[in-house]
Amino acid sequence: MSRYFRELSVAAVLALMLSALAVFAPSFFSPAPLLSRLASEVPALVVALGMAVVMIGRQIDISVGSIFGLTAVLSGTLLANQVPLPLVLPLAILTGALFGGINGWLVAGLGLPSIVVTLATLVTGRELLSLWQQGRFISLPEGVQWFGLGQTTGQWTLIAVGLLLVTLMAWASRNLAAGRFIYAVGSDPEAARLAGVRPGAVTFGTFVLMGALAGFAAVLNLVQSPQVDPKAGGGLELKAIAAAVIGGVAVTGGRGRLWGVFLGLLLLTTINPALTYLRVEAYWEKAIQGTVILLAVVADRFQGNGGAK
Amino acid sequence: MKRLLPILACAALALITGCGPSESKPGTSAPGGPAPAGKKLSIALLPKSKGNQYFVNVKKGADKAAAELGIELIFDGPTNTDPAKQNEIVENWITLGVDVIAAACENRDGIATALKKAQAKGIKVLTYDSDTTPDARSFFVNQATAQGIGYTLMDTAAKLCGEEGEFAIITATLTAANMNEWRKNIEARLKEKYPKMKLVDTKPCDDQKDKAQQETANLLGAYPNLKCVMAICSPAVPGAAEAVKQAGKAGKVKVLGLGLPNENKAYVKSGVTQAVILWKVEDLGYLTLHAAAALAKGELKPGATSYKAGPLGELKIEGTDILLGQPFVFTKDNIEQFDF
Repeated sequence: MSRYFRELSVAAVLALMLSALAVFAPSFFSPAPLLSRLASEVPALVVALGMAVVMIGRQIDISVGSIFGLTAVLSGTLLANQVPLPLVLPLAILTGALFGGINGWLVAGLGLPSIVVTLATLVTGRELLSLWQQGRFISLPEGVQWFGLGQTTGQWTLIAVGLLLVTLMAWASRNLAAGRFIYAVGSDPEAARLAGVRPGAVTFGTFVLMGALAGFAAVLNLVQSPQVDPKAGGGLELKAIAAAVIGGVAVTGGRGRLWGVFLGLLLLTTINPALTYLRVEAYWEKAIQGTVILLAVVADRFQGNGGAK
Repeated sequence: MKRLLPILACAALALITGCGPSESKPGTSAPGGPAPAGKKLSIALLPKSKGNQYFVNVKKGADKAAAELGIELIFDGPTNTDPAKQNEIVENWITLGVDVIAAACENRDGIATALKKAQAKGIKVLTYDSDTTPDARSFFVNQATAQGIGYTLMDTAAKLCGEEGEFAIITATLTAANMNEWRKNIEARLKEKYPKMKLVDTKPCDDQKDKAQQETANLLGAYPNLKCVMAICSPAVPGAAEAVKQAGKAGKVKVLGLGLPNENKAYVKSGVTQAVILWKVEDLGYLTLHAAAALAKGELKPGATSYKAGPLGELKIEGTDILLGQPFVFTKDNIEQFDF
């Protein structure tokens, strides 16, 4: 029971918030808007999962917003030139993985600190994007939106993809050797190395996975609207890091559960619509989000010794 | 090699600013005095975010004026709206010693210190699109008065709603100076003329379409009686329209906003968005550069009441505001004629 203390406390706060909404703003749960809200957060979930993996491995990737934006524009351009979606999707994942690979090589290969490397790639990516796209929206051809499935089916598909990915990744991180290696490297790279794990390869792998997921997320986002905004993904890194931290991933590496991240993101992304439904002015949004993140970090401090490992 | 470095640096600087070693450094000319003849004026144009298509169109107009008047145009700004980054860029331009800085300010007070510092170094400063404090610049090139925009938005919304019902605003950020001015005027007009209309909420979208779409979806759910969404930053207009369309409320909830015709054509033609309001953006860039050059040459002086900007004709100056004119309403009937 106490092993799951962190995840359970996030779930409890979320439940409390949802009950308050049920009492004071029951329309929060009307099905159509709820569905659209959940579907629109699936791309952020995909990125947050990748971020959690990188953080568990004791690194951080703040370039995800740029990878997301670049992949979105690249995919949008291909789609606008009549390249079919089933072909664009793997290309997007590959492109993301390539950017992730660059980050991974700089961090694992050259031993540079990930926060500096990915800050540099974040800025470079955004600048390239403005240079290339000059802020122009890209109009997508008909049939791309909702994968051509119609709005409701499309939204359910997105949610199913999100849930499937959480389940799969949460399972893999605990049960596959590769998953265990990430925890091992995040806890103590030297001990991991002595145990026969190659920390460099593991770190490189987490960045490639992060990039691939960011590319995938970009496609899951662009199918929800008929136009691509080249500024898409701006600020996404903060959302993903916040979700991971709230969900119990330790910034110092080695600790955290992916389904905790799922709960963390749910909590984080419920705050904003909740404020709208409760008719609280938007000025409070960022302050409240910041407070929640701060609380999570403080909770980590107290949980640090002997908490969920 | 070490000796080459300063020469290379100077050459690079010369490339950027057009100032060779033999010429006098810009910025050293006495404040108010005309720029040395024969030297190309260097004018630095600061957008709020250089990726935003709005500012790309500003640059198009500015490029045109720069070509006509033989000006060295430097265009740089934050990639995303970022007040701190704007200050940094202004500081760089001070070091570089440009002749004029023309800035669209993200944070009205935050950038004033940097701009005053530029003025103290003899650099002429004017603002466009979004103003700073009046003591930090000589003129503000006003694309449309805050009153003109606020009133046009409110009047158009009222017309669409039959002058009664709830409406909400989507803005870029709650700190953007120009948008806060517009909001004040929207609210003033509302109070004065439309007692049966009610502004229920104002949400920021961080200047991103996807966020505007999410915020609008939330508003539509939270306020079932909402009759109109007013988006006052350009990416928010198609974002709001998409949310209204997805909620199945096209036509029932009206959408209007300040935006670019091209991004909204599909929604306007299919009846989701009823009105797009804007000025001619390229003209704003053109006028800004034109006025900046005149300011540097001493042809435009404080106290002037009108200004002749080439093909734009004789424009009014109110106080220190150079006025571009009245905003323009794009609708189903005329939107096809515009391409920006």
